[in-house]
Amino acid sequence: MSAPPRRVSSPRRRPKRALEIWLIALLVALVATVQIRSQAEVERSLVGTDTTTLAFLIDDLHRANDALSAEAADLAQRKAALQTGGSSAADQELSAEANRLRAIEGLVPVHGPGIVVIVDASGLQALDLQDAINNLAAAGAEAIAVNDHRVAMGVAVVQTPNGVSIDGALVLPPWTISVIGDTNRLAEAADLMTQQMHSDRRVRQATYRVEADVVITSIITQRPFVYANP
Amino acid sequence: MARNRLLGILVVAAVALATGFLVAGQVRAQLLTPSNQVARYQALVRSVQDLEKANASSRAKIASLRSDIDGLEGAAAQQSATTRALQNEVADLRAHSGLTTIHGPGVLVDLRNGTPAPDVNGQIGYLINYQDMQDVVNLLFASGGEGVSVGGRRITPLSSFSGSAGQIVIDQGPPLTAPVRVLAVGDRNRMFAALEDPSALPDLRDREVRFQISLAVTGVPDVKLPAYDSSLQIPHVSTP
Repeated sequence: MSAPPRRVSSPRRRPKRALEIWLIALLVALVATVQIRSQAEVERSLVGTDTTTLAFLIDDLHRANDALSAEAADLAQRKAALQTGGSSAADQELSAEANRLRAIEGLVPVHGPGIVVIVDASGLQALDLQDAINNLAAAGAEAIAVNDHRVAMGVAVVQTPNGVSIDGALVLPPWTISVIGDTNRLAEAADLMTQQMHSDRRVRQATYRVEADVVITSIITQRPFVYANP
Repeated sequence: MARNRLLGILVVAAVALATGFLVAGQVRAQLLTPSNQVARYQALVRSVQDLEKANASSRAKIASLRSDIDGLEGAAAQQSATTRALQNEVADLRAHSGLTTIHGPGVLVDLRNGTPAPDVNGQIGYLINYQDMQDVVNLLFASGGEGVSVGGRRITPLSSFSGSAGQIVIDQGPPLTAPVRVLAVGDRNRMFAALEDPSALPDLRDREVRFQISLAVTGVPDVKLPAYDSSLQIPHVSTP
């Protein structure tokens, strides 16, 4: 008896196996390419800004654009009044503008709805007070005073060896920050701010209350320009 | 032949294993989600861009209206001494509020992001942020600055800074990112000395060393500041 012939792959089966291997390799390449490209696309487009930041940005821009529209409408009205009213209308507009700007610059006492924040702490620095003032300004504060010292951008809040001073006057804790503006937005900001302060070991007390009429009697003394020219 | 066959099986097994890993990886990475994320992200970016265009257009309109009003007030002032006196008073108040352009000696401060590095305490330390701007502007005003602008945006008594990561939002303007140029008119020597003082701006100084953030100060004989071009309303404030 002769030995049975050794089984060998038939010539027809070899290309079939090769095809299977190639198909699998192709699938692997395809999946890998799709995976790498889709991830690369995400990474490329997300450079710098995440979607949450964009959402906040959209919210801020909507609010900003609403404020700009209101300002434009107000200015258009003033322009129309000046165009039709002559000199007496100009006097009225200018007087109203002067009063408004004096209030903005902190040159006159003011009152209105707002909040009062009280912070009692030891070791807080000028930077902490600057941050608090900026947070409230970003929440739409229209007038601010700390311990009866009027504050606006441009008023020096600095650190001295004896503590924090506002425009040269020492303001010792507890700080009572009186703010006039939209009470909803201000309360939201104050809520966040006081919550954060509670986790600061230097802070003994951080509270706020909403008031229908916050009165700010302190004023800023305007310094004439020495270096600036119109 | 048996060796070849075994080799073939091993290759197929290895390829199948690799495919399995890749498919599993793909499923975990949610193959479809990234494309949705991209679409959603792009929609958000388009919204931001549209809102920024509207913002720029409104600010240009406000600047134009203020200029028109100024012209009309000037014409009215020609006819009456009372109006002229009022106009002068308002012009001074407007200049102090940042509503008009000013120029004079001052400083120019250029702030640039540093080298990307791992976050420290959840902060992205190598990016210039809104608090850096707030600190620089406060220091300038405390050191003899009479007017300041940041990235072409004039600072007013009601100005505020906000933003996240490397974005700086000032008042109602669109976000700025570094490099940002801060201009200040005022006592040039005092402002320059304050900015060069190593004990001032401690956070920025620290990040200058750790992340190579750049703060460059130049004294300039004549700096021109733009006028504020946004809203300056105080609807909740009353005067007695």
